[in-house]
Amino acid sequence: MRARYRDGTRSRSVEVTPQGGTSYRVVVDDGELMVTAEPLDDGRLRLSGPNGVIIAEVTSVGAQRFVRLGAMDFVLEREVAGRARDGAGGSGGLEAPMPGVVTRVMVQAGDTVEKGQPLLAIEAMKMEHVIRAPRAGRVSKVAAAAGEMVKGGVALVEMEAAAE
Amino acid sequence: MFFQKVLIANRGEIACRIASTLHELGIRSVAVYSEADRGALHTRVADEAWPIGPPEPRASYLNIEALLEAAKKSGAQAVHPGYGFLAENAGFAEAVERAGLTFIGPTAEQIRAMGDKRAARSLAEQAKVPVVPGAEGDDAKTLAKAAATMGFPVMVKAAMGGGGKGMRAVHDAKDLAEALDSARRIATSAFGDGTVYLEKQIEHPRHIEVQVLGDGNGNAIHLFERECSLQRRHQKVIEECPSAAVDDALRARLTGAAVALARAVRYRGAGTIEFLVDATGAFYFLEMNTRLQVEHPVTELVTGLDLVRAQIMVAAEGKLPWTQDQVHARGHAVEARVYAEDPARGFLPQSGSIVRLRWPHGAFLRVDRGVEAGDPVTVHYDPMMAKIVAHGPDRATALARLSGALDETRVHGVITNLPFLRALVRDPAVRSGAFDTEWIERAFLPGFESVASAPAPELAVAAAALAELLGLATPARTPHEANGVGAPAASDPFVTLGAWRLPGLG
Repeated sequence: MRARYRDGTRSRSVEVTPQGGTSYRVVVDDGELMVTAEPLDDGRLRLSGPNGVIIAEVTSVGAQRFVRLGAMDFVLEREVAGRARDGAGGSGGLEAPMPGVVTRVMVQAGDTVEKGQPLLAIEAMKMEHVIRAPRAGRVSKVAAAAGEMVKGGVALVEMEAAAE
Repeated sequence: MFFQKVLIANRGEIACRIASTLHELGIRSVAVYSEADRGALHTRVADEAWPIGPPEPRASYLNIEALLEAAKKSGAQAVHPGYGFLAENAGFAEAVERAGLTFIGPTAEQIRAMGDKRAARSLAEQAKVPVVPGAEGDDAKTLAKAAATMGFPVMVKAAMGGGGKGMRAVHDAKDLAEALDSARRIATSAFGDGTVYLEKQIEHPRHIEVQVLGDGNGNAIHLFERECSLQRRHQKVIEECPSAAVDDALRARLTGAAVALARAVRYRGAGTIEFLVDATGAFYFLEMNTRLQVEHPVTELVTGLDLVRAQIMVAAEGKLPWTQDQVHARGHAVEARVYAEDPARGFLPQSGSIVRLRWPHGAFLRVDRGVEAGDPVTVHYDPMMAKIVAHGPDRATALARLSGALDETRVHGVITNLPFLRALVRDPAVRSGAFDTEWIERAFLPGFESVASAPAPELAVAAAALAELLGLATPARTPHEANGVGAPAASDPFVTLGAWRLPGLG
């Protein structure tokens, strides 16, 4: 089994090769681990390797993987092959950082904006988050109206970079 | 005599916590819920629950008419406002009383007076409680003299200002005249009024507050202090009782000042008087909160007294349940607030459904929670999910127990600030008590951010892949796997038939 997980800003690769019984060879990025993995109740996993035994608990929610290792928590995101996210680029969409209600829309399509200029505001859990232009450019599309509920990750404003 | 039925005009953990005391007293509890909170934990632990409107707080939890309607239909005799929402809304307190019900809290007048910063400051001054030194006037010479008396640094502030505009710190007498001129100019152009005033800047203050309880007839007692200096952007994160920075002499002065103010205003019910304390032990009145505080459990663990019970007794009988001599402090308690926010991404609020959940258990732990496994965390309300509180004979033991409790806690499905809390309670400065209200942002966050953005260990990535390969990552549909003490599972027929539950059987 091969998979890629997003870990913050990184993309981590993993390959699992069963070695018979409960033994596995796991290659994470360039590091090799030889482990035994025994399923316990309640989704837990008893992992033993050369450094000892640790209990892992993994919960899958959509693409998210909540991983608890001993008393540490990590959140990874399963990447689907061929659909790696690319946030960098001269133009493109500005996404809602979280689900919430759009409270103010401060630009409309066609507007020229400065870098850092507020575009719209989202309110969630009593806190307002202002989405600002990451660079100077022109707004090509505004995909949300004030009062609208939006999901996290949904593109709200599309921008074209300013011509050189 | 106590009430037979009380409506809780709130949601989340505080509604659950109030219901638990009502239950203990044999008073029937009435929950209210917005459309977003249908089936929420606070509706499950109450004896009955009434809908009050759409998810937006304005239309439901802040909707006085809807709340009074629910109170009337349910036959409640009193309303407990909790904290937040309408707890410090004088109009709500008045409307409740006008409807012939008892408001479990202070009088509308007291709420109004303490809500107005200048009125509160002058009440404090009248009660001889120290306030932050300040000076007003047009004459630069008079102000310079006042600044020298109160000591630099001072803040120059615009009288009609807000949002920090026109505000400026002055560290030296020679810079004052120029700072006054510039502040007047900014104030004139921004607010159309060039009046400025001076206030002493309290450097590296600690936030220390005193819990008071008044009977409404001029009698008041205190239940010691709480320290809430561990804040991030003015949001309290960890609170404790007693404060590591308060010795017996300072405690006597702080509690004495707080009781004097509570007596002077003939305060009714539970309230908290907040102070800023500087490194020399000088303290200044900040404000009075006319409600139950989020962090009240640390006081309850140290005194062994139930503050919600006290609020109800004062409201029902107009008498304090205890004399000052009956209030004793034993050991130390520390509370950590678990928020649905991502500490690795600027503490952005999170929402989602809690898939797997385990709250910590232990003889010296208390978990005030508003959610269980299977419950959603929605975008509409405060992202606080629970408070984990540990008690011990001393501060070090209480912190060690809190640290263990945070490690034991597992929340899967919604990203939480648990990694932040775990790192915080292990920090040497927190262990030694050497912090102030700006310490988290100044000294802790830079280091924490680099840890939070470090790559996950290889074994964590391996575990994710192995769990997927073995089909373990997707949990079976057992939404109520984790139920703590005092929180019956929703499948329990006594809960689903809430209205039929007999007092004392839950």
